Amino acid sequence: MGNILKIALRNLFRYKRRTLLTASLIAIGVILVVVFGGIANSFKNKVIGILTNSNLADIQIHKKGYISSIDNLPLDLTISGEGINKIENLLKENEQIKAFSKRFRFGSAISNFVQTTNIRLTAVYPEMESQTCPDLPKRIKNSKNEPSNFVRRGELIVPINLAQGLDLKVGSDVVLVANNKDGSVNGITLRVSGISENILGPTGKDGYLHLDDARTLLRIPTSQNEVTEIAIKLNNFDKLDYVYNQLKSELMKFKTQSGKPMYEISTWKELSPFASIVRIIDLLIIVVKIVLIFIVLVSILNVMIMSVYERVSEIGTIASIGTPPGKILSLFLVEGFSLGLISSIVGSLLGIAILFLFSIIKLNFTFGRMELALSPEIQLSEVIFTSLIVIIISVVSSLQPAIKASKLEPVDALRHV
Amino acid sequence: MSLVKLKNVKKIYQVGEVKVSALKDINLNINKGKFISFIGPSGSGKTTLLNLIGCLDKPTNGEIFINDVKVNQLGRKESAKFRGDNIGFIFQNFNLLPVLTVFENVEYPLIMVHSVPKTERKKRVLTLLEKVGMLDQKDKYPNQLSGGQKQRVAVARALVTNPKIVLADEPTANLDHKTAYRVIKTMHIMKNELGTTFIFATHDPKVVGEVETIYTLEDGLVVDKKIHNDRKGN
Repeated sequence: MGNILKIALRNLFRYKRRTLLTASLIAIGVILVVVFGGIANSFKNKVIGILTNSNLADIQIHKKGYISSIDNLPLDLTISGEGINKIENLLKENEQIKAFSKRFRFGSAISNFVQTTNIRLTAVYPEMESQTCPDLPKRIKNSKNEPSNFVRRGELIVPINLAQGLDLKVGSDVVLVANNKDGSVNGITLRVSGISENILGPTGKDGYLHLDDARTLLRIPTSQNEVTEIAIKLNNFDKLDYVYNQLKSELMKFKTQSGKPMYEISTWKELSPFASIVRIIDLLIIVVKIVLIFIVLVSILNVMIMSVYERVSEIGTIASIGTPPGKILSLFLVEGFSLGLISSIVGSLLGIAILFLFSIIKLNFTFGRMELALSPEIQLSEVIFTSLIVIIISVVSSLQPAIKASKLEPVDALRHV
Repeated sequence: MSLVKLKNVKKIYQVGEVKVSALKDINLNINKGKFISFIGPSGSGKTTLLNLIGCLDKPTNGEIFINDVKVNQLGRKESAKFRGDNIGFIFQNFNLLPVLTVFENVEYPLIMVHSVPKTERKKRVLTLLEKVGMLDQKDKYPNQLSGGQKQRVAVARALVTNPKIVLADEPTANLDHKTAYRVIKTMHIMKNELGTTFIFATHDPKVVGEVETIYTLEDGLVVDKKIHNDRKGN
C-alpha cells in the first residue's frame, strides 16, 4: 500500500499546476463550509443561549391548551394546587434538571400617572427565576438588586421600549391595573427597579414583578398555589430531547376526568420563532455542503479522467508487465483519495485559522434589538465530518476513471499515442 | 521441449466492416534459451505475433502454449499473472514510468506483480543494474537518461522477475547505431547468463545479425526460417 501511495502521490504532483488548481478549488470549498458553518452555528448557539438563558428556559410546562391561546395570556388555564406539587416532585427527582421556575404571565395596564398603556408581565420568584434563566438579571440595567433577588416585592422591571415611551426611570412609581380571571379589576402601585433589554420573541418585551405582588393584583389567595407555566433549566442542553421525552411520558400520566392529558410540555423550539431561523440556518449549511460535494465531484472527476486519458500508454505498460487490474484500480483510487485528503486538510486548517481570527477580532452586529458579539468556533467533529465527505466523494468520483483504467486492454493501451 | 508452441494460429482484425487477416495459420516451436527474431515488412504480422505470444492479445483461431500452459484460454486476471510470472517486455519507446527513478522502474514488477521482500528486491535490482551498466544512474529519472540508457533500464526491468521469455518489439528503432549495438550486446549477455529466451520483432539488421533463428513473415505467414548456430555465445 505504501508503494501505491508513493506512486499515486508522484503522479499527482507530476502535473503540479493542475493538481494545485484542483486542490485549491476543493480547499476553498472546505474553507467555505468550515467558516460558514462556524459562523452560522455560533450565531445560532449564541441566540439560542440568549433566549433560553434570559427568557424562555429550555423547557416549559403549561396547562393543556395554554400554548394555542398564549397570545391571549389566559388566566383560566393555570396549573394549581396538587398539580404543582406533583410536577415539582417530578422535577426535583430528575437529575438532568438544574433548576425550575414557577411563573404567572398576564396582561395589564400600566400608568405613569400621565399616560397609560398595556404591558405583558411575567411574575416570578426571583431566586427560582435567576437560577432557571441566569442571564436575565444581566439584561436588567440600572438595578441595584442582587442577581438572585433581581425583583423584590413592590418592584417592577420594565422593558426598555416601554420605559422610553412612558419616560420611566429607576425609582419611578407606576400603577398596574389588571383584570383577574373572574373579570374584576384591581390596581397596585409599584416602583421601577430596573430596565430590561429587549430579547427576540413574543416574551422578549415582558416586564417582571414578584409572584406575590401578582397574586395581590389578581386577587389570588396566597394559599392558592397557582401558576401559568413552569420553566425548566437543564444541566446539559444537549440532552434536551431526551429530557423532554422523559418528562412528557411522565406528564402524560396526569389526566383530566374525561381522560385527556392535563398538561402540555414544550421545548424552546416550539415557543420561539427563532426555531424557524435555526431550521433555515441548518438548511443553508446543508446547501453549502452539497455545493462542496459537487465541487469535489466535478473537480476530481475531471482531473482523474484527464489523468487516465494522458496515461493510457503507461497503463498499457504496467498492465503488460503483469500488474493486476485491481492494483491499477487502486493506483487511481489512491490518487483521487490523496487529492481529496490533501485538499481537505489544507482547507480545514485554513478554515479553522480564519475562524480563530474572527474569534479574536469578534463579529459584532445587531439581531432584532439584541447586540451580538460572535466568537465563531467549530466543533472538531464537524471539521472531521466535512473532511470525510470530501475524501469519500473524492474516492467515489475517482471510481469511474479508475475502473476504466483497470479495464483497458494492454494491447490497445500500448498502441495509444 | 518447446517453450513456445503455436498451432494453427490465426488472427483476424475487424476494421470497420472489413476483416483484415493479420496472421494466417502460424505453426511455430521455440525452444528455451534461444535468441530469435521475427522479421518482415510493415504489416507482415510481427507485432501481432509478439502480442499473442506475450498474452496481450488472443488469437481468432488456434492454440498457443507457453511452458505447456494453454494461454489463449486464460482470463484477464490469469493472463496478467501469467505475464508477470513468465514474460518480460521491452518496447520500442522504452515505456519507463516517468515518475519513478531508474532503481524504482526496475523494482516496480517486484513490488506490484510479485510482492518480493524489500531486501531481496534491492539485491536483485542492484545486481541487474550492474549487469546492464546502469548502477551509477540508479537515482536518475527517465527524462535524465539517453535513449540507450533508457533501453538498458528497460532490459533490466524485463529481466528482474527472472522471466522465461523476453519479448522485444523493435527495441533498437529509436537508438543510434552504436547505442543499438550496445543494447543488443547487453541482451545477448543476459540471455547467456540467465538462459532467458529473447524473441524480437524487428527490421534492424543489427539485431538480425545477432540472433540464432530468424523467422521471416510476409502477409501473416512464416515464409522462411534461418538458423545460425554460430551466434550462440558472442
